[in-house]
Amino acid sequence: MRDIIRMIAVLTLIGAASGLVLSLIYGLTKAPIEYQTIKFVKEPAVKKVLTGYDNDPILDRTTISVGTDERGKPIELVVFPAKKNGETFAVAIEGTGKGYHGTIGVMVGVNKKGEITDIGITSHSETPGIGSRVTEEAFTARFKGKPVTGEIQVDGISGATYSSKGAMSAVNEALGYVNTFKQELF
Amino acid sequence: MASLRAEFTKGLWTVLPPFRLVLGLCPTLAVTTTGINGMGMGLATTFVLIFSNLFVSLLRRFIPTQVRIASFIVIIASFVVIVELVMQAYFYQLFKVLGIFIPLIVVNCIILGRAEAFASKNNPVMSLADGLGIGLGFTISLFVLGSIRELLGAGSLLYYDAAHPGFHVMWASFEPFAFMLKPPGAFIALGILLAFMNLISQIQAQKGGGR
Repeated sequence: MRDIIRMIAVLTLIGAASGLVLSLIYGLTKAPIEYQTIKFVKEPAVKKVLTGYDNDPILDRTTISVGTDERGKPIELVVFPAKKNGETFAVAIEGTGKGYHGTIGVMVGVNKKGEITDIGITSHSETPGIGSRVTEEAFTARFKGKPVTGEIQVDGISGATYSSKGAMSAVNEALGYVNTFKQELF
Repeated sequence: MASLRAEFTKGLWTVLPPFRLVLGLCPTLAVTTTGINGMGMGLATTFVLIFSNLFVSLLRRFIPTQVRIASFIVIIASFVVIVELVMQAYFYQLFKVLGIFIPLIVVNCIILGRAEAFASKNNPVMSLADGLGIGLGFTISLFVLGSIRELLGAGSLLYYDAAHPGFHVMWASFEPFAFMLKPPGAFIALGILLAFMNLISQIQAQKGGGR
């Protein structure tokens, strides 16, 4: 009996000490990890869709609440502003759409005039060589200069209809946010 | 202090983990597509090995033998999570390449093997020397294996990412053996290195009196 109590006590102590240390380390690394994830996953797309800014859109990012999910938790939208002389002239926000395999994430840049500056695919799991062609400039350039009011329709890629539609619905989701929260964005 | 030196240096040749013990082959084969990746994996393993050895050794009288493996795994897993978090926060590209193999350090049999076979029976100083030696041996092995595969498979050395491409050492018309970067290339490179090490040992043994 004493043996069992000793075993339980030792394992509990080791587990508790380990949990304590790990929670401390997690707290210390949380902010840098978030920054790194955004930097490596989103920054290439943000840099592609925004040009001519003199700030760091990643550091200046803001979040706006765009509603709640089924559990009542707020859904947050991250906004990357492009500023010149302290004034926001364009923003990049991300929308998602359903592709042929899984979700396609698209970063959409919108300027103050209400035009799309450019789009960039942040994440996708489309078929390499077929659906993955939505990431190519030949497709993404079709969105440039389109007005943000109303649904956007561009020519899809032949052979990659689902992926093209997924990218389009992602763009339209982002534009939906732009139209609904215009006051807060600029 | 001669034996302390012996505990440290044995990891560099006589029990060099992936080659002599042929242990811990999963990360050895999977992540050594470039020298830097191999070194990153090796250093992460070394960190875990040093601290798990130290703590297992410090707690060796305190941990009942019946639950020692469970305790060792908790200790090892804690340090693996620390490595994972720190790497994700400060070496994101390396973290992305090594991916699933970082959490898998928990079940790397070199680490549990050292905890069970050495650290649980020796004092903390010896255990530190043992962990450092084995870890460095592992790191060097992975770096050499990774560099050979990188050299033959991509023609470059010390590649880290697109911004730090390292050196392109092969001549311009060199056609890379792309298969060296694939799993079979790992086995072939490992086999050739093992053969070389056995050859060296054989020559040494013959010189030392034909044992």
